[in-house]
Amino acid sequence: MEIYVLVKQVPDPEAIVKVKGETELEIENKYFTNFFDEIAIEAGLKVREKFGGKLTALSVDNRRADALRRAIAMGADEAVQITDPALEGSDPFGIARALAAFLQGKPFDLILAGRQAMDDDAGTVGLAVAEALGIPHVHGILSLEVDPTERVVRVAREIEGGKEILASPLPALLTCQKGLSVPRIPQVMNVMKAMKAQIKKVDLASLGIDPTEVGPQGAKVRVRRYFPPPRRAAVRMIKEDFPENVKTLVRLLREEAKVI
Amino acid sequence: MPGEIWVFAEQQEGKVKKIALELLSAGALFAEKTGQPLGALLLGSELKGATESLIPFADKLYIWDDPELAVYSSDTYLPAMAALVRERGPSVLLGGATSTGKDLFPRLAAHLRTGYAPDCTALTIEDDGSLVATRPLFGGKVFSEVTFSDDRPQMALVRSNTFSVDPNPKRSAEVFSVPFVSESARAKKKVLAREKAPDERVDISEAEIVVAAGRGIKAPENFRIIEELAAVLKASVGTTRATVDEGWRELKDQIGKSGKNISAKLYMAFGISGAIHHVLGIGTCKTVVAVDSDPNALIFNYADYGIVGDLFQIVPALTEELKKTLTDK
Repeated sequence: MEIYVLVKQVPDPEAIVKVKGETELEIENKYFTNFFDEIAIEAGLKVREKFGGKLTALSVDNRRADALRRAIAMGADEAVQITDPALEGSDPFGIARALAAFLQGKPFDLILAGRQAMDDDAGTVGLAVAEALGIPHVHGILSLEVDPTERVVRVAREIEGGKEILASPLPALLTCQKGLSVPRIPQVMNVMKAMKAQIKKVDLASLGIDPTEVGPQGAKVRVRRYFPPPRRAAVRMIKEDFPENVKTLVRLLREEAKVI
Repeated sequence: MPGEIWVFAEQQEGKVKKIALELLSAGALFAEKTGQPLGALLLGSELKGATESLIPFADKLYIWDDPELAVYSSDTYLPAMAALVRERGPSVLLGGATSTGKDLFPRLAAHLRTGYAPDCTALTIEDDGSLVATRPLFGGKVFSEVTFSDDRPQMALVRSNTFSVDPNPKRSAEVFSVPFVSESARAKKKVLAREKAPDERVDISEAEIVVAAGRGIKAPENFRIIEELAAVLKASVGTTRATVDEGWRELKDQIGKSGKNISAKLYMAFGISGAIHHVLGIGTCKTVVAVDSDPNALIFNYADYGIVGDLFQIVPALTEELKKTLTDK
């Protein structure tokens, strides 16, 4: 099995993110490997451990290779960083364009990605890569069984009010949801090794991509402005004793908030 | 203004989803502003009921009725919708941020090489037909207002309960039957089974009222009191990451960063401390009530109404009080 996992280093959920200017954000320098990408790496490793083959982690990033090092520490065989100044300011379709160009012609069986990256929360790159490669996708899988001889995967995904079990021919691209796997914590030795591991770098020219197809010029959506989340009015604490407080709450919900 | 404003009228088991009606109601206001016709796209099988329910919501109703479309698959829905987009050149295409929307829209936008805004919490349109979409980033720590390139259609997925449902009895959609052409040559996915969740409640991401408990509930069986409260309010039951990781509750009910964002009219949190992971998921709820025994719990910073107290005392009393009030109405 030839497995590729798309990964990204993103601000930690605890990181402070603030609006700095109309179209500029200030992000605290506290990053981690996207939660859902680690789930994808783990799922990919399980498949490789069962059926053999090779797992390659792939990331588009001009600054950070940490997600790739994390993948290596967890057990990935290889890591590739697509990096090019022209990629700065790309939208998810630009990122997908670069990833797909790299994957095109490679002998992949399975491509895994996280359900979404915890920065722009778009959930777009994986599916756009599947589209560019012309392979089936399933978004947000909860389970994964691979049949390498029949060349099919059986997966489950959540739907409103239940689950759906699907079979998809390989090669396929699957985005991974919480619950699919529990990412292993790499051993210190492997973390050390990953720090020194060779990460292959690839630029746009070698992928045959015209810089105008990506970056702000290629973007299909533009940020007009950022703004902080709308503030809720200060909390109104209901300080009466029980059970009057419950009665007051019900009255406020009916008469003031008008939500019941 | 050339082009039409389209809404993907998602149906499940022959019933049009509420989010689709919400979007058509918003779409009607947009259409009025720009002078563009409002179209609904309905795909499925045996769609008589769904068709009727959409008549007062659109000017044009495009229907693909085929057994192969009975259950959603991107392999069938995507080529069908893409072909009609190419033929008719709509200016806007909206859908609900549902499991189907999130599986379909990003790929459809990539296929059409057009702009796409996911998980929007507000949408407006300008006189010239340009769509302006507001969406949370970093789980809701900041919001962005985005505009689209000149490519059409401008595509967006919108969260439930962003707009209210407002049918127009004077509207009567003209129905267009669109033939479905199966692409048999392509390797396709197969849906093997659909399993219903044991509870019949609306998904927390779509619910108007959500009541939730966290670790403060102390044991999984204690969720019974939350369920009873939910039954009175016809609410869905949510929870936090902690109880899901403990195996007390199902992942589908988890609110927050690694779970779901909810946009309920009323959200009530019991025994939830208010970790950032959790509160990021409730930012767009209209009214938030928090009950916790710790007066310093962070959750109170994100609530409209707060009570410091014992949830085991308050929840049953609240259930009783609501039973009285709601039947008195």
